[in-house]
Amino acid sequence: MIKWLRSESFTAWAFMTPGLLLLAVFVFWPIIYSIPLALTDYSVISDTHFVGLNNFEAAFKDRNFLISIWNSLLYVLIVPFLQIFSILMAVLVNSRIPGIKIFRTTYYIPVVTSMVAVALIWSWLLGNNSVVNYLLIQIGLISKDIHWLSDSNLALYVLMFITMWKGLGYYMMLYLAGLQNIPQDLYEAARVDGASRWRLIVHITLPLLRPYVLFCTLISLMSAIRVFDEVYVLTKGGPGTATLTSSLYIFQKGMEQFNFGYASALGLIVGAMIAVLSIIVFRFNRKGGVNPY
Amino acid sequence: MNLKDDKLLCSSLPKKESSRSMRSLARMLRMTVIYMLLVLLALFLMGPFLWLLSVSLMPGRNIFSTPPAIFPTFINFDNYVQVWQFMNFPKYMLNTVIITVLGVVLNVVLASLTGYPLAVFRFKGKNLVFTLLIATMIIPSYTAFIVHYLTIQGLHLGNTYLGVVLPGAVSVFNIFLMRQTFIHIPTDVRDSGKMDGASEFRIWWQLVLPLVKPALAVISLLEAMSFWNSFLWPIVILNDTELYPLAAALTYLNGQFAYNFGWIAAGTMISVLPIIILFLFTQRYYMEGLAGAVKG
Repeated sequence: MIKWLRSESFTAWAFMTPGLLLLAVFVFWPIIYSIPLALTDYSVISDTHFVGLNNFEAAFKDRNFLISIWNSLLYVLIVPFLQIFSILMAVLVNSRIPGIKIFRTTYYIPVVTSMVAVALIWSWLLGNNSVVNYLLIQIGLISKDIHWLSDSNLALYVLMFITMWKGLGYYMMLYLAGLQNIPQDLYEAARVDGASRWRLIVHITLPLLRPYVLFCTLISLMSAIRVFDEVYVLTKGGPGTATLTSSLYIFQKGMEQFNFGYASALGLIVGAMIAVLSIIVFRFNRKGGVNPY
Repeated sequence: MNLKDDKLLCSSLPKKESSRSMRSLARMLRMTVIYMLLVLLALFLMGPFLWLLSVSLMPGRNIFSTPPAIFPTFINFDNYVQVWQFMNFPKYMLNTVIITVLGVVLNVVLASLTGYPLAVFRFKGKNLVFTLLIATMIIPSYTAFIVHYLTIQGLHLGNTYLGVVLPGAVSVFNIFLMRQTFIHIPTDVRDSGKMDGASEFRIWWQLVLPLVKPALAVISLLEAMSFWNSFLWPIVILNDTELYPLAAALTYLNGQFAYNFGWIAAGTMISVLPIIILFLFTQRYYMEGLAGAVKG
């Protein structure tokens, strides 16, 4: 016993206990507990009954839920754009010229700002008789006011634009870190061998950036599907169901209507979707040295 | 400027032998193009904030005049003074600081405690812990929100800061980040500590932690951002609006005084400035740590 208390094993567990305990309560328990919860009609208001798979059956007949899934899938469209633009930005800010650090910092400011503030700014910038419409009319791109956030054909794409605007700096920083980690002698050696600039990019930069692309694609994919804050603050899912995303719908069912059982079932369905999508991304990038941490 | 490095990324230099002036002309042209792109991007990403700043400094309520005002005709700080007095900002600021500090400290301590053995110790169950941690990243805990709510109520932590902070106090991401960083620490460090008879805890605290400051900075900054900016969970957990952090108070202000743009603009500026300043002061470590973290 005393021997064990002095062993590395004991010390290791002593180090890990506080963290693992909290993880158990706030990461493992929610995953486990939401399964039985999804099989009941648990809500704060009435008695709880076991309802089997009813919630899941109801979910696939729930028009709003299907719409919210569709909107969340549409949201994934920002992933490739976000990645391409932030890689280009990273390449741009990787130039070693005076003042470049100021620009890097500037680009990161939307990232550190709260979504509440960002949403507020954009809702004003895009409102009627507002700056964006005014500027666009002045330069002759549009002829009359566009109702950016209240047009049901536009609103979702406007939200996507705002998400992208806020996220660009974050991914730019990650890619910049990636670019700066590429040893310069690789380029030197290739250039001595007479490689063209294009070949340097294709054969050195892109392959070595690959783990970063995988990592960034995965996290932006997940956050695109679970997008919540901007939708909640800017449109609350409206107009109609135009910007109703799955996490907003789950939030409405759970935290606003206290329909915990049903919301858990919806969460499990979306969770399964995210798992499948991440596996697909992993498959595509098998060779990319899957070690994002 | 280091020509060697950005040659790759920028427009080409003449390949054949050419005169010095031709070369410097091409270089100047390339620099001009780069700076123009950089400024355009800066306008795109910073423009909205500059406009918000400008709105917050405009007197009166006529921001939404026709045509819309972009620059103030004269600058005053009335909006700041008024909203500061009306909203009791020091209180919300203090609430936010308490929540943020609590969240950051818990995250840093717990992630570095948990990640350390996973990187350097040899013990039974290491693989089990590792597999469990990885599993959480494959199985997304999407309904966590609802169960967290039930758990916090069950622990009688509703309407407390601890209830706000605990669900985010430890993250698998941070644990992995720390583990990845600890792996690169030379084993000599721990061995020399042992030779001197230091306990494992002292080795961790006094020898190892000082070596991983950049990683600690990354976690601190990321968590500071997320706790400083959190609004939804605090609203759900806190019944008492007096306990709200800034972002939550701001949503509240926006609901109450949606017509008073100047106030809301000033309030928003006040809420975003501290975190931006924090970022400006820590960005050097942050960049360094981020590079180390993803390297893997």
